[in-house]
Amino acid sequence: MLVLRRRAGESLLIGDNIEVELLAVSPQGAKIGIRAPKETVVLRKELKITQEQNLRAAQGPADFRGALEKLRG
Amino acid sequence: MPSLETKYFGSMEYREESVYEFPHGLPAFESETRFVLIERPENKPLVFLQSLSRPNLCFLALPIWAIDRDYQLEISPEDLEELSLGPERQPALGSEVLALALISLHDNFSPTANLMAPVVVHLKTRQGLQAIRQDSRYSHEHPIQPASAEGAC
Repeated sequence: MLVLRRRAGESLLIGDNIEVELLAVSPQGAKIGIRAPKETVVLRKELKITQEQNLRAAQGPADFRGALEKLRG
Repeated sequence: MPSLETKYFGSMEYREESVYEFPHGLPAFESETRFVLIERPENKPLVFLQSLSRPNLCFLALPIWAIDRDYQLEISPEDLEELSLGPERQPALGSEVLALALISLHDNFSPTANLMAPVVVHLKTRQGLQAIRQDSRYSHEHPIQPASAEGAC
């Protein structure tokens, strides 16, 4: 992973079309602004993980009753 | 009483009081906004979050306390507002809100619970959302010990 040190107000560029600006830093976290083409999807990683996890959870076991037994130990 | 088709239990009658509204759905299921909470004595404390409009969509869930008795809620100010709760403090588990961890249960895999993004329901309004934590204190794949699904209290 590339690691850069930036101060509030400083930016970095990814490719030709994406700019990431560090807007403010506080003990609660860093505020980040992103300028990117409309078609670029920007998601908080936790949201992506939650989507994937929900899809997985929704599938459920093929053998429902057997799986419940397993859950009971 | 109205009835609904369920994924695991065929056709069932339900009461309006057991319907929870999720105005924005759940991530990956944004159009599913109404779920019925099904509790069955033989499966306690496991609960089933059955979609009202999609019979084959039913989440298995455990109350968060059944997995981690010391779980600390950390709902973001935006989510608190969405739930019509004040931003100044976290709501009380059990009396103000119900917090459920969705379970991944698959053949040949150990079951896990998503403690990173609990489903939180405001009991008074019966409105809910999936409150994704902004910290990394809890895992989205927390291994479930069989005992936690065995009516631990």
